[in-house]
Amino acid sequence: MSALELGVRDDVDPGAVLARANPVAKLAVATVIALGLLLSVDPVTAGVALALELACLPLTGVPLRGAWRRSWILLLAAVPTGVLTAFFGVDDGAVLLGLGPVDVSAGSASAGLGITLRVLAIGLPGVLLVLSTDPTDLADALAQVLRLPHRFVLGALAATRLLGVMAGEWEQLTLARRARGLGDDGLLGRVGTFGGQAFALLVLALRRGGVLATTMESRGFGAGGERTWARPSRMSWLDVFVVMCGAALTTTATAVGIAVGTWELVIVGSA
Amino acid sequence: MTSPPRIRARGWGWRHGGRLAWAVRGVDLDVQPGERVLLLGPSGAGKSTLLAGIAGLLDGSENGTGEDEGELTLDGALARDARARAVRRGRGEAATGLLLQDPSAQTVLSRCGDDVAFGLENHAVPADQIWDRVRQALDDVGLRVALDRSTTHLSGGQRQRLALAGVLALRPGVLLLDEPTAMLDPPGAAQVRDVVADVLASSGATCLVVEHRVEAWVDLVDRVVVLEPGGGVVADGCTGAVLDRHSEALAAQGVWAPGRQSRTPRRAALPADGLLTARSLAVTRDTSRPPVLSEVDLEVGTGRCTALVGPNGGGKSTLLLALAGLSRPAAGEVLADRALASGASPNPHRWRPRELVTRIGSVFQDPRHQFVTSTVRAELTLGPRRAGVPETDTTRRVDGLLERLRLAALAEANPFTLSGGEQRRLSVATALATAPRVLALDEPTFGQDARTWAELVDMLADLLEDGAGLVVASHDEPFVAALADDVHRVGDGRAPRRVPA
Amino acid sequence: MSTTQHHDPDRETPAQEVAPPGPPGRTAGRAPLLVAAVGVVAGVMVLLAGLPASASLFGTPLADLTLPTALLLVLAGVWVAGWTSSARPPWRVVDIVTASVLGVACGLLFVVWNLSWATLSNGLAFFPPLSAVAAGVWLLPAVLGGLVVRRPGAAVYTELVAATLSALIGNQWGFATVWYGLLEGLGAEIVFAVLLYRRWGLPSALLAGAGAGVVVGLLDAFVYYPEFPPTYKLVYVGLALLSGVVVAGVGGWALTRALGRAGALAPLASARDARRV
Repeated sequence: MSALELGVRDDVDPGAVLARANPVAKLAVATVIALGLLLSVDPVTAGVALALELACLPLTGVPLRGAWRRSWILLLAAVPTGVLTAFFGVDDGAVLLGLGPVDVSAGSASAGLGITLRVLAIGLPGVLLVLSTDPTDLADALAQVLRLPHRFVLGALAATRLLGVMAGEWEQLTLARRARGLGDDGLLGRVGTFGGQAFALLVLALRRGGVLATTMESRGFGAGGERTWARPSRMSWLDVFVVMCGAALTTTATAVGIAVGTWELVIVGSA
Repeated sequence: MTSPPRIRARGWGWRHGGRLAWAVRGVDLDVQPGERVLLLGPSGAGKSTLLAGIAGLLDGSENGTGEDEGELTLDGALARDARARAVRRGRGEAATGLLLQDPSAQTVLSRCGDDVAFGLENHAVPADQIWDRVRQALDDVGLRVALDRSTTHLSGGQRQRLALAGVLALRPGVLLLDEPTAMLDPPGAAQVRDVVADVLASSGATCLVVEHRVEAWVDLVDRVVVLEPGGGVVADGCTGAVLDRHSEALAAQGVWAPGRQSRTPRRAALPADGLLTARSLAVTRDTSRPPVLSEVDLEVGTGRCTALVGPNGGGKSTLLLALAGLSRPAAGEVLADRALASGASPNPHRWRPRELVTRIGSVFQDPRHQFVTSTVRAELTLGPRRAGVPETDTTRRVDGLLERLRLAALAEANPFTLSGGEQRRLSVATALATAPRVLALDEPTFGQDARTWAELVDMLADLLEDGAGLVVASHDEPFVAALADDVHRVGDGRAPRRVPA
Repeated sequence: MSTTQHHDPDRETPAQEVAPPGPPGRTAGRAPLLVAAVGVVAGVMVLLAGLPASASLFGTPLADLTLPTALLLVLAGVWVAGWTSSARPPWRVVDIVTASVLGVACGLLFVVWNLSWATLSNGLAFFPPLSAVAAGVWLLPAVLGGLVVRRPGAAVYTELVAATLSALIGNQWGFATVWYGLLEGLGAEIVFAVLLYRRWGLPSALLAGAGAGVVVGLLDAFVYYPEFPPTYKLVYVGLALLSGVVVAGVGGWALTRALGRAGALAPLASARDARRV
């Protein structure tokens, strides 16, 4: 259950540049990198971006082990996607491995590598962002800096706090299924049990949500008028610097890709 | 603080969206500033709805959550308008403050300080004044924690006091308490009650409290109002007079009345055969952490009730899960007697689910956790059917249970729509449907009214006479006194100590 | 557009003062009709003229995208018309919190599903597009949020919360999940808007599931499998659509009904259709 607690981990250095940056700035960095990398599928651009991101790791204040523990899961999506592309992608160039209907060619292999690196390079900033950002700070920034509707931002934040309660409840529900004699059927039975359990979770969540809404409303939430913020969230020069670094990282990676000649704009090209 | 308003209801009623029945109807009530009122009545009388109405949280308009009738005013203004006006005034003073039952659903934010500040922000208190008032409110409820302390690991009692701090920070003129201690263990409940007593003494605020445990609150209030389902106010007057005159009716409706003890302790148990034995057992909530209890040795025998008592968080429930075959021991073992195992493995946690249900029945603290079908009847039929009981026997058994537990009229109802007491009876019935020889119950009397309480005690006593073995985790002292043969005190991470029953 | 009401979901006035303007649709002037007409005309023109075959988008010749583009234009026009002319009840606190809690609960289910999918998709690797059949589970919050809360934007909001939570807890796709959630939610939202936020039955649920399914199919095909042959992509999108209809559409509809019967929707607009209990 402890894995389901959100927020800054104890092992993150609170003095690090990215830990001090406004969450909106970090969000901007992750977005800039993602958009920049979506333009092309090539191993060089994505690889350079990934390398630069890893080089920036000390700025996040996240220790190496913590970063690995939280980001290895990205490989679960990145590697199979790349491998599938290598096998099933459009073939181009010398065939490296022929397996009857599916071939690995130089072109598809490079595309596969490019995809894997790209998925990693897009995903990693998100993971690092999460590790050094507290959900409360993120919500404050979204409502005060980005001016998103505060009722929705705070509603989501309050619901997020129920995550731990729901995770505990899920465990109870699992035990209760066993106590009722469920859970030793085949795959279909298990899917059915899972569905029933999900339903019970939703019923309990909605009930609890009703109480939470009553609590929030009774403390003046959503009654209109101005709202003040006990924790002001502002953009500083540090944040400008952080966003510039993100832009520089994307630009550098793209420039290297162009210089090497692997970079190719995939949005619009000739057929 | 805003000066307490006069509360006035005339023919007031409320019906939730999608419901046929009115939650409360025909209420005529006047509460003067500074009065302290205890609201009593059976479940379904609309006590909570009345509090929500006074708090100005019920909106009967086109876009609202239900339908209202009559009028409910604070100093002449509609309750809803009074609330909105107080919020917009910007002084951070709410018309009313509402504290509900469930501590886990009343924490809004993840840091203690932020949670108390939440209401002040909504009331547009200038940021530089907020933190002083937050500290003051935390002080008032005796919660000495850092402002940035996470709310996740607070106990139920601490959480409830945190919620109270969030209410008090807004200096409400009326304090509305909706069963504020029903889900707390005795020490936690006492603390919340003491804080409320202090606050009322110093602020002079009006207070309306709904609570089944009359004894704890009777000294604090000066007036009792009794509501009846659909009948509005049926009794109203100073505390002693109402409780004396209506004690029979109140007891029949399941309201605790002071000085009434429901049941004489049952006779001593016969010499027992063993059913379950724990040997050097260690149990854990989280396999990555050290065990919460270790070196546990205890026995569950036929016709005997083994009780696990002690503070919340001490490991009672975790131990119970292991004894019930629902979780794997961290060390040591739980052994089932050969007669109980009847061919299956001697370790209950290795039994397949359908083997388990015919041997050990479990009743969870929250009955809703065990509901897996969409009608009461299906809920009862499920266990026997999975255990391979012939269909005619199943029907007979289910019909018998429906009768015995007063659920026959609800056979086709959805379990989730039942009242708390009905859900509790159903959860016990589902466990009994497969006729297990051991029944494990976790806080079965939690949040139950006196009537359900007495029914549970009687039914469990009957089971013991029939030779079933019971193991119960509970901090309900009268309940333990009424049933237990062996009492084990659990807590502080040490092995449970056996204490005299 | 002067005759239509400006809508601000976070309007800072109490509910009574923004009561919906009379029976639904009465405030609709001519402007929404005009927008819808422009969308339909533009769509038909694109369909007739066809997109140039000489250019490509993400490796797909633009000409292949003629029909989708035409559909998109028509839908967008009708959506804008629907959005502006429907009576849109404001969000109450209980709506916001309910949608948020639903989103968080679904986010928790995602965490379980994300890992199951990793195993499942490996089993389907013999024909990669098959993995799209699992997509519907991720679209459930969009349909469920829309049907339960019945407020404009509920589908997008619920899906976004679920996706954000999934990303915050950590999953194999990282931050991209948030954008996915936003766009998938929009896929379902468009359907509800086109139906003027007045139809909440099974057909609406199926269509909303289909809308979200198409979006996730296209996104996956372009972001994760841009180098797949076009037939694969087509099968992938088709299966994602099917999964959206079956899992998110039928599933979301059935779940909403069951929640109503369990009495869990009491304070919500969807309770009005649930059996009175």
